[in-house]
Amino acid sequence: MNEHALPGELAANFFDGEHASAHPVRLHIRDGRLHIEGEAIQRTVALAEVQWPERTRHGMRMLHLADGSSIQCSDSAAWDQWSATEGGRSDGWVVRTQQRWGLVLASLSALLAILASAYVWGVPWLASAIVATLPASVDQTVGEATLASIDARALVAPSHLPPAQRRGIREAFDAAVARLPAGTAPRYRLEFRSGKIGPNAFALPGGAIVLTDELVECVKGERAVIVGVLGHELGHLQHRHGMRMLVQAGILTAASGALWGDFSSLMALAPVWLGQAAYSRDAEREADAESVQLMLANGISPDAMVGFFRAVEAMHAGQGQAQAGQLGIALASHPANDERIAYFQRAARQH
Amino acid sequence: MISAQNGSLEPMEEAGERLDPVMVSDATPPMARALQLSFTGSGSEYFRIWAVNLLLTIVTLGLYRPWAKVRRLRYFYGNTVLDDHAFDFHGDPLKMLRGLLLVGAMLVVYSFARRGSPMASLVALLALAALAPALMRAAFQFRLGNTSWRGLRFRFHGDLAGAYRALIPAFIPGAAFLAIGLGVTDPLHPPPWFFKASGGVTLITLVLAPLIWWGLKRYQHGHMGLGPWRTTLKLGPMPVYALGLKLIGVMLLSAFLFGVLMAVLGAKLGMALHGLSEGPRSAAATLAITFAVGALVWLLILLVPMPFAISRAQNMIWDHTECAEVSFESRLGFWPLFGLTVQNWLLMAVTLGLYWPFAAVAMYRLKVESVTPQLRGDLDHLRDPRQAAVTDASGDFAGDLFGIDIGL
Repeated sequence: MNEHALPGELAANFFDGEHASAHPVRLHIRDGRLHIEGEAIQRTVALAEVQWPERTRHGMRMLHLADGSSIQCSDSAAWDQWSATEGGRSDGWVVRTQQRWGLVLASLSALLAILASAYVWGVPWLASAIVATLPASVDQTVGEATLASIDARALVAPSHLPPAQRRGIREAFDAAVARLPAGTAPRYRLEFRSGKIGPNAFALPGGAIVLTDELVECVKGERAVIVGVLGHELGHLQHRHGMRMLVQAGILTAASGALWGDFSSLMALAPVWLGQAAYSRDAEREADAESVQLMLANGISPDAMVGFFRAVEAMHAGQGQAQAGQLGIALASHPANDERIAYFQRAARQH
Repeated sequence: MISAQNGSLEPMEEAGERLDPVMVSDATPPMARALQLSFTGSGSEYFRIWAVNLLLTIVTLGLYRPWAKVRRLRYFYGNTVLDDHAFDFHGDPLKMLRGLLLVGAMLVVYSFARRGSPMASLVALLALAALAPALMRAAFQFRLGNTSWRGLRFRFHGDLAGAYRALIPAFIPGAAFLAIGLGVTDPLHPPPWFFKASGGVTLITLVLAPLIWWGLKRYQHGHMGLGPWRTTLKLGPMPVYALGLKLIGVMLLSAFLFGVLMAVLGAKLGMALHGLSEGPRSAAATLAITFAVGALVWLLILLVPMPFAISRAQNMIWDHTECAEVSFESRLGFWPLFGLTVQNWLLMAVTLGLYWPFAAVAMYRLKVESVTPQLRGDLDHLRDPRQAAVTDASGDFAGDLFGIDIGL
């Protein structure tokens, strides 16, 4: 098709934008202007006003002029060569990136890195934001459903503690919480159970704190440890860790629920998730801090919790994890790592 | 260049064999010339465009999306070759960004309204119903008006009243459900008439769904134009109902076959799941497995009916889209589409989704190359006086101002 064109010229088809017929033309570039010559066509346009085609491996080259007419060249190889030698506009950086496999693979790696960091940092941040928009009634309903589910799964059974002892623990805890700065403590409600999870305690959204008989017996009713344990659970309630974990696990469900105001799917999945997942290390650390605060406000040394953690460690080494591990959010389901124990020891030394 | 073997009954004529118009009497229509439609793009090339598009879209938190969409459409349109001339897309990404933000804002307002009382939800839905037909028309105008072939722009001629007639019926089931919900004071203990009413609305929706779809397609395909040529959809609602019934039959058959398969495999799967759920497993793992199994079941149930519906619908709609100068023939077969769907899904699963651009190209090629336009009109004398575009400016305004473009 290029045989009739002089060197430096390119043969193409011109469409005037009003007729479907094609007009053969010859193109050449001079002084920054594009010259279009053909039968009954003699035009010249500034290169800057022309929409230059992007380079693709397949397909034709189509050039658009401001008045709606266009030039098409079906021989893209000839066009690329002509454009390169005669000084047509070069490709933008996006097109150049797309054409080199190396850059494309680099883009994909960058994308992967961005998605990974979004997952590690972005999702928890988004979960906190969503939780902040959830009303307390959602916490309540989720907590009630989860407790019912835990009771139904026979992980726990009704408590055997004498009512007097239960009342004593309740009053002691209420008194301890009263010593915290006003307005900082969340709403809570003590529940007593016994059962397969051994000496343990856990908190559910909405305020239920569950304490097992085995824990009370294990620490021989020592008030200091019980206050520390309950303070830890109170910390989980304060920061809404349960809801945050729930939302993070089901961020799509929670986001659509927050968007449409329909939380039914979140409610349905909550017992499953809360029953199986465990808090993040950050969540445990925050709860530990609240525990220390409660103990200090009551003049109890944080060392009391160290003893408790050691006892839990010994128990896990002996029995194995099978029993307590079934309820990931419970305090004694995972032995505290050295870092947490050291935190309590440091807190004890400082005060 | 790959071109499909279309099983067309019309002989493929060479360009030079057109009958001399003088010899043809007024009683016989001019011979139709079959135009070849082919796709010259490749999966590997689109993969590179797609990868860079994805990175830029995510880095800009979605704001790059209009530019990505323009690049994608220019690639697909630019490689779609009809009678040795390619299509082109001219959409302005800035205008499309405006449209994207507008639609996003509407969705946010709608979601806030839905959080409120059932009455607020109903009002929000009615407001959406009032706006949606205008947006749909604007989207058709934008997409078609920015598509060109041989330098001529296509145009959408549908009017606003037609858009409302076509789309409003689609909102009636949703509004009816919300209206019924208004009468229920206690959501946990609905009165007995609620179930009968819901059942009635569902049944009426199912019966009317083919009619609503037909109305929308008639609006979309009945107002496409190139120059003075305008298409109509010469199709009644009965073939749509016939197709709907066949589709239900195919779905039942497919569900039955895969139900048998699942029953056989289900026992083994259930035991494997039970073993996993004991012990301190993370919620994520259990949930992932549950979702995966559910998705797999869904996929299998849809695997046969979806290609059936898509192929039959495409053939039916395009076969009946015509005007005096152009008619279309679509010969998209079920088995090629089914085979390609299975191949795409398997390869996407194996490559964790990276195969998607290749799958998209293969699917587009199969669908496009199965359509054959039959040209009776005279291309050399086809004229599109630009004055006509100016007088119809009001119609193009919304589409052009907002660049509203929905993927239809």
